[in-house]
Amino acid sequence: MLKILIEKELKAIILSPKFSATFSVCAILIVLSVFIGLRDYQAAVAQYETATTLSNQEMREQTSWMSLNTRAYREPDPMQIFVAGVQNDVGRLSSINAFSQIKLENSNYSDEPIFAVFRFIDLTFIVQIVLSLFAILFTYDAINGEREGGTLQLTFANAVPRVQYILAKFIGSWLGLVLPLLIPLLIGLLLLLLFRVPMTGDHWAKLFTLIGASFLYFTFFIALGLLVSALTKRSTTSFMFLLVAWVTLVLIVPRAGVMLAGQITPVPTVAEIDGQREGYAKERWKQHMDALTERWEERNAGLQNLTAEEREAFRDDHSWDWMKEDEEERKLVQRDISEYDRKLNEDLRNRKATQERLGFLLSRFSPASSYQLAAMHLAGTDISIKPEYEDAMRDYRDKFISYREQKQKEEGGGMAGGFRIEFNSDTGMKISGDRDSGAIDVTDVPVFEAPQYRFAAGLLPAMPDFGLLTLYTLLAFAAGFVAFLRYDVR
Amino acid sequence: METTSTNEAVTNHAVNSPSQSRAMLAADNLTKRYEDGVLALDHVTFEVNQGHIYAMLGGNGAGKTTTINLFLNFIEPTEGEARINGIVTHKEPLRAKEKIAFVSENVMLYPNFTALQNLDFFARLGGQTGYSKDDYREVLLRVGLQEEAHNKRLKGFSKGMRQKCGIAIAILKDAPAILLDEPTSGLDPKAGFEFIRLLESLRDEGKAILMSTHDIFRARDIADTIGIMNQGRIVMQSQKSDIAGEDLEKLYMKYMAGYMEQVN
Amino acid sequence: MLKYIIEKELRDMISSTKFVVTFAICAVLILLAFYTGAQNYRVSQSQYQAAKTENLRQLEGLTDWIMVRNFRIFLPPEPLAALVTGISNDIGRSVTVQGRGELATQDSRFSDEPVFAVFRFLDLDFIFQIVLSLFAILFAYDAINGEKERGTLRLTFANAVPRAQYILGKIIGSFLALAVPVLLAILLGCLLLPLLGVHLNGDEWLRLGLMIFAGLLYFGVFLMLAVFISSLTHRTSSSFLLLLVIWIFSVLIIPRTAVLLAGRAVDVPSVDEIASQKNRLRSQLWSEDRKKMSEFKPTQNGDPQTMVSEFNKFMSEAADEREKKMNELASRLNEDRHNKQAVQEKLAFGLARLSPAAAFSMATTNLAGTSMDMKAHFLSEAQAYQKTYAEFMQSKTGMNIGGGAMVFRMRSGDGEEDVEKPIDAKELPEFNYAGLPLDRVVGAALPDLGILALFNLLFFAGAFVAFLRYDLR
Repeated sequence: MLKILIEKELKAIILSPKFSATFSVCAILIVLSVFIGLRDYQAAVAQYETATTLSNQEMREQTSWMSLNTRAYREPDPMQIFVAGVQNDVGRLSSINAFSQIKLENSNYSDEPIFAVFRFIDLTFIVQIVLSLFAILFTYDAINGEREGGTLQLTFANAVPRVQYILAKFIGSWLGLVLPLLIPLLIGLLLLLLFRVPMTGDHWAKLFTLIGASFLYFTFFIALGLLVSALTKRSTTSFMFLLVAWVTLVLIVPRAGVMLAGQITPVPTVAEIDGQREGYAKERWKQHMDALTERWEERNAGLQNLTAEEREAFRDDHSWDWMKEDEEERKLVQRDISEYDRKLNEDLRNRKATQERLGFLLSRFSPASSYQLAAMHLAGTDISIKPEYEDAMRDYRDKFISYREQKQKEEGGGMAGGFRIEFNSDTGMKISGDRDSGAIDVTDVPVFEAPQYRFAAGLLPAMPDFGLLTLYTLLAFAAGFVAFLRYDVR
Repeated sequence: METTSTNEAVTNHAVNSPSQSRAMLAADNLTKRYEDGVLALDHVTFEVNQGHIYAMLGGNGAGKTTTINLFLNFIEPTEGEARINGIVTHKEPLRAKEKIAFVSENVMLYPNFTALQNLDFFARLGGQTGYSKDDYREVLLRVGLQEEAHNKRLKGFSKGMRQKCGIAIAILKDAPAILLDEPTSGLDPKAGFEFIRLLESLRDEGKAILMSTHDIFRARDIADTIGIMNQGRIVMQSQKSDIAGEDLEKLYMKYMAGYMEQVN
Repeated sequence: MLKYIIEKELRDMISSTKFVVTFAICAVLILLAFYTGAQNYRVSQSQYQAAKTENLRQLEGLTDWIMVRNFRIFLPPEPLAALVTGISNDIGRSVTVQGRGELATQDSRFSDEPVFAVFRFLDLDFIFQIVLSLFAILFAYDAINGEKERGTLRLTFANAVPRAQYILGKIIGSFLALAVPVLLAILLGCLLLPLLGVHLNGDEWLRLGLMIFAGLLYFGVFLMLAVFISSLTHRTSSSFLLLLVIWIFSVLIIPRTAVLLAGRAVDVPSVDEIASQKNRLRSQLWSEDRKKMSEFKPTQNGDPQTMVSEFNKFMSEAADEREKKMNELASRLNEDRHNKQAVQEKLAFGLARLSPAAAFSMATTNLAGTSMDMKAHFLSEAQAYQKTYAEFMQSKTGMNIGGGAMVFRMRSGDGEEDVEKPIDAKELPEFNYAGLPLDRVVGAALPDLGILALFNLLFFAGAFVAFLRYDLR
């Protein structure tokens, strides 16, 4: 019996005129989204490669270790083809040097605002918005449409158990709508192979889990459609109701949730944080300068009674030690400042985390948000991309700076490439120019290693959302089940 | 509306009183009061044996469709029971429904399926899985649907064609009892005539047939027993032989009027 | 006759439950958009003030203008930008001014707070573009063929009703029935603004009015389109399906796809390439200057104070020289990039404008001052400020100290002069951001308003012609 009913359901979906229209639209959109994502990914890779090459070239052209700086770039990941997430909003690079903070700057959207005007189209977007609408379009009249058409009566004039009927409706519509979608998805995957996207096993695992999440989300809307059509007598009513539910769940709740959270838990702005940081740094440097002046006065005090030659000799003897002493002091200041910065960041991050948790919690009342969040976690384009990259870049900065300092020491005096301005009452002003001798050898400079998003690392934070999606789907289905058992088939 | 004791309004023209005999279709004090308080069916009792046609006559809202819905267990009785082959419909609906075929007033099928696809689905739903395409064609020809329509989608079918498909489905199910809800309303005279012939042949095959109709003359032509319903009750029930010579139209009007007087 | 038809249409719409439900939702959403816009505006206003104060506070305690190496200016929030966010959250909100050199915007809101980038904001543009267009379709998809399915069309035309009047009445009636309640909700939202502490000036009210006008035009496009399609088809289910597909394409697909594909078709040199070329020139110039520096000889040995100031002057001049060379390169590179960007923009937006949703979005963002021009305008304003800033610093310190110049300060050893007076940060010229002028804003929005009007006309004519040949049976 179940088989007969499912067969009929499949046939009814495939034979309906709206099927071919909507199916072709969805197929085109899915393939299009993969294609656009691919092109975008390729452009991003090209940009990334040029940028890193140029940055390396700049390093090679440096003539002194002291002025050696670099930049670290965020690496494009093939998963962004399917889930753009916030990767266009978050900065692409940070400069790596001793004096400035690690901060991702130059987001794609701020560099090229043209792409921010209408934003991105990716598989997640198509699934989240178009496919859910598609699911509603096919299930809004699943029950009440048959009642209106009179076929429900005729069916239940036979020995058909209701449980089997509603189950068949669900399975039939699921198969009828999901199986055709596999075709454009497969074409999309073929495109990946065709364009030689470097997909690792991890990427494939993420991609298939993402497709699984998409189907789960899609299933929710099928179940919702069945539920509403089993609650209402007229298909126009159920359609109206579903469309309103769709607008609310897909378009309104996610945005409203985050905005509400933003208002409940305000977070200090970057400008305020920067202000605090700079204030501290200024204070610390001032202390340092004062101490420095004092030290020089002390050192000079010891010279009071010497002749000019003696002074010169004394200076030559001690200047290296003095410089080392000053240098140590300077490093201490830098360490203090970066320590303070770390603390500030930690604090900011905690407060942001609270805000994010609340915002996402509120928006998760909608399965559309759950789906999107799960997809972003899987793809590694969720908002944690920013702190994770910044942490990695901070580590890299430490490595880079210690490498540079070591080199500086090795290659003599810590002075190479710098210049020194001396005043003393005897010789007046003296500027000693650089002792640098052409290019430096940067072949063994540490290379920035981007944080790796393993499949398991993405799956774990996505689990609650998977759970929620499953829960929503089960709830909708169970409610639809119960509603149909009491449905008046007349 | 005041409802006093029931059966005094029913005139029993030599019909066997309802019993636990093995009638194919039996209504036993069947009563339905809807949630809004309307008493749609008021202690209705009748039987239809195999090879018999029972016609329910009555105006709109007399309770004919409610009776059929109760036999199909689309609604549950407030009191009494409907039995099909001795099976109480609201207790074992699935077993009971194996024994009946149903043709509604306005047969609606899947508009995107062809006639053959619709037949195939509903035949299998009715438990008949052994049919071939040729069997379907044969039945469709028997009910008078031309060959060229067999592979057309139901979308463009006229009401008459749809009714023919409906009766074909009922024939295919080959159930011992058939319920028909005003099956001839809206059919042209020729189609109506063919339909009646078809019913007669089904009766001759031994089916028990319960039909509701507005059409007094057709009822007299074909029914073995006629029950006239008004306001949820059977106000007159008589065998074909008893009323053969009478003017059924007058009788109908008389009973309706008489009943109204009695109630008032 | 026309009057009867319009009246009937109005009554028919307003009495349906569909109308009540959708109108309630639209009203709630519109008010929500106004409310959140106002809230957002207030939050950004206080953030802006805090940032500005913090920025000035850092100058406290400094005793010499020479110690002021750079100054940060911020993009002030604008109430219209909160209602129609456009790209305002994508571009940087602050610029560090040094006195010379190229400027760059920093700290975009979405980059600082990506949590808001995940789902973006619920603004008027979004509500109009997506929700209201959907509702226009929902109400008009069965305008003609629905009447036919119900049989009322035959009955109507059994009377002496001219078809032209009928279709006209239909369109006017449904437009009034839907647009008036929406307009009421919007007006209510506008009233809400002053109550929530958001005050608009005359120009801004005018721009808001034009934005609402653009919204009505856009609403009209979808209404006309729905009537058009419904008089091309005979079954409501097919007209609805067709309209939904058109809606998906014009609202969700065409704008994005057009920009993404056309944008990638034109190869614009990336920011990184340009930055890298500039970096290389900069370090080359710097190493040249270092040689010059070691050759620096003060005119006289003696007073360190004079020596330092002479050296500073030398450095400042060197920096000026470097900047001139940098600017040459930069303007060459930037010009190339700008030209290519303009081509890219033209192509991408030209294609996107095939969709009325894109035209509407561009019209409103232009009117709100949050279109593509926003970034360029902010930068040019900042550039102008940098000039003022440089002049101010020149007057205070005798040189332009920013942007790669090296400055040395002598601290006198004895400490008797340590009672130096702190500088008064308030003396710094203030950054008065002037938004885009009204005529430019309106001028930029006009083509898109024209396109919307054209769409209206086109679909109206289509509906008219299609109905004149409609099979009434």
